[in-house]
Amino acid sequence: MYFIYDPQFGNTMITLMAALVLVLQIATVGQRGLITTIRMFALQSFFLASIACTIAFFNQAGHLYIAALLTLVLKAMVLPYLLERTVDRVGIRKEIEPLINVPLSLLISGCLTLVGYVVAESFYHPEETSARSALGHNTLAVAISLFLIGFFIMLNRRKALTQVLGLLSMENGLFLAAISLTYGMPLVVELGVFFDVIVAVMVLGILAYRIGETFDSMDVGKLRSLRG
Amino acid sequence: MILLWLLLIPFAAGPLAFFLRRRPLMEAVNLAAFAVVACLAAALGIRVLQSGPVSLWDGFLYADALSALIVLLTAFVALVCSIYAVGYFRHDEQYTFFNENKEVVAEIAVFKLRKYYSLAPLFVFSMLLVALANNLGILWVAIEASTLVSVFLVTFYGRKTSLEAAWKYAIIGGVGLSMALFGTILTYYAAHRIEGTETLAGLNWSVLVQNAARLDKTTMRLAFILILLGYGTKAGIAPMHTWKPDAYSEAPVPVAAMLAAGVLNCALYGLIRFYILTAKCLGPQFGSQLLIVFGLLSMGVAVPFILVQKSFRRLLAYSSIDHAGIMVLALGFGGPLGALGLFLHMTFHSITKPLLFFCAGNIQQQMKTDLFRKAKGGLIHSMPWSGAGILLGTLAVTGSPPFSLFQSEFTILRAAFGRGYLPAILSVSFLVAIFSGFLVHISNLVLGPDPGLPSGESCKWKKSSVIGLATVIVVLGFWIPAPLFSLIRSAADIVVIGR
Repeated sequence: MYFIYDPQFGNTMITLMAALVLVLQIATVGQRGLITTIRMFALQSFFLASIACTIAFFNQAGHLYIAALLTLVLKAMVLPYLLERTVDRVGIRKEIEPLINVPLSLLISGCLTLVGYVVAESFYHPEETSARSALGHNTLAVAISLFLIGFFIMLNRRKALTQVLGLLSMENGLFLAAISLTYGMPLVVELGVFFDVIVAVMVLGILAYRIGETFDSMDVGKLRSLRG
Repeated sequence: MILLWLLLIPFAAGPLAFFLRRRPLMEAVNLAAFAVVACLAAALGIRVLQSGPVSLWDGFLYADALSALIVLLTAFVALVCSIYAVGYFRHDEQYTFFNENKEVVAEIAVFKLRKYYSLAPLFVFSMLLVALANNLGILWVAIEASTLVSVFLVTFYGRKTSLEAAWKYAIIGGVGLSMALFGTILTYYAAHRIEGTETLAGLNWSVLVQNAARLDKTTMRLAFILILLGYGTKAGIAPMHTWKPDAYSEAPVPVAAMLAAGVLNCALYGLIRFYILTAKCLGPQFGSQLLIVFGLLSMGVAVPFILVQKSFRRLLAYSSIDHAGIMVLALGFGGPLGALGLFLHMTFHSITKPLLFFCAGNIQQQMKTDLFRKAKGGLIHSMPWSGAGILLGTLAVTGSPPFSLFQSEFTILRAAFGRGYLPAILSVSFLVAIFSGFLVHISNLVLGPDPGLPSGESCKWKKSSVIGLATVIVVLGFWIPAPLFSLIRSAADIVVIGR
């Protein structure tokens, strides 16, 4: 059982989970069903919480456990539940055709991942890398890719709820960046950020619901009466 | 302790108003809370001038001259908005603007009023927290919180268009602020690698500014770009400004005034704090160039929309984009003159914009439209105070002498000519175009033959807020109180020297 304490093992695990997070994000780009998209987001948040736990374990960063727990409870359980309930109440379950078709979208996501790796390269400081502090640094590229692909999802999709999911996965990217660069922000800030994210999703959920009720559709492309 | 009370009073006033339910009580709570906050803000300003920065809880809350100025402006805007809101919402209730099917439903009115009177203090609380938080992470949390609170205030009327406006506001603001959060994380990372900053204090501005020269340069460069995009979105700088006309024209007038004169200052405040760090770390050149480009772009974008504008509420929003551009430009020009011009402009703008919004609100409530076409002309005959007020506000906000915005714009232009001719000449021509477009629209609306409408100014709350603000603007044009001016000067010194 000693292999658990080996930083090398931790590193492998983190890389594996970060890869899964990235795969889920790219899969979201091509996904049409709203419920499936929400579940994929929940799974992604679960892996994120596991990464946070692993980093906390190897760096003895106690406050990261709290952040990991919050991610697990809020982002992997509460938020998906709230969003699924909104989908049920509005009764719209399929995304309409995105602006850019699926193969091209996947290609663009691939390019964005490449951009993420190039940007992350400039943060790599090999001179100060001991095996332990290097833990998680390789996930920065994944974090930046998540952020960029989340932004792309928001531009590409027109349903109110998928835009919210895009915003949430950008937020996931930020969380991953924070834990991989600095083992998380100070706890007070982290709590504030979590609080804001929860409230933001509730606000956007209520708005999406009311848009669905008022316009008989969650297509934000129909919101175009205010001009000039 | 003064810092704690400044935050505690509005934070408590919101829930209090929520549980009181009755209109006169809610109005009284709001007025009393904002009056006390305004007094405290003035006291804080004097304290900072006399004995330097004030801090509380190990520097968790921190106020230097820059924060004190923002707090003072926010408190002033909140107070005048709460006075105006009394008259504004009574008018709405009386003419049943709250529900579109024109049935007098008392419950809806109570529900809406509760929504406004309990959320407005929380909105002000979050803006005050922006200025008083020392920790840059908390600053982000507070700016995000102010967005979330104001989204509900934008949907106040529940029309289809207000939903659209709120959606754009929430989504564009959310994306922008996530960039700002990324910038904040990177700043923390840059600080993290310096010894002894691995705790909560590692994100404190007062700690960071002392170590700014040792921060990692590559990281800070990326961080500043992200912060500029993020807080720039919140300040409504082009090309991230598209939410602004919608939100400003759909929100109730007191909320729109607080967005235009409160949130704008807070977002710029965040930008200024990071600019100081970046300038100390990378030298002033890098940040300045970006700021000048974005500032000129915002002014330029506002010009065509002001020239062909159809609605006077949206006209005010484009004017606000223009002024956000001017302030960013002033920060970019930098130096003692640019910084002084920036804070003079911020002060005068925060006083003038509410007047314009209040008069526009009066006219909109009276004419039941915000389109120039439908409002006809000659409003000065039926609404002498609002008509004169909006004309005076227009002259002031477009920077014509003797009003104070002329002084600040003149200061900024002097700083501009010190740096090169192209940006200076561009900004002068934008200013002239905006001046003429704005004035033509408003004079068509206000002046002209009497269309014979019934007189429409009986509410003393609305009238007194308009007259009071107009008096302040005229007085400030000729005489700035010495403590206010030294507060502005010390704030400018913080930007120039960095402490």
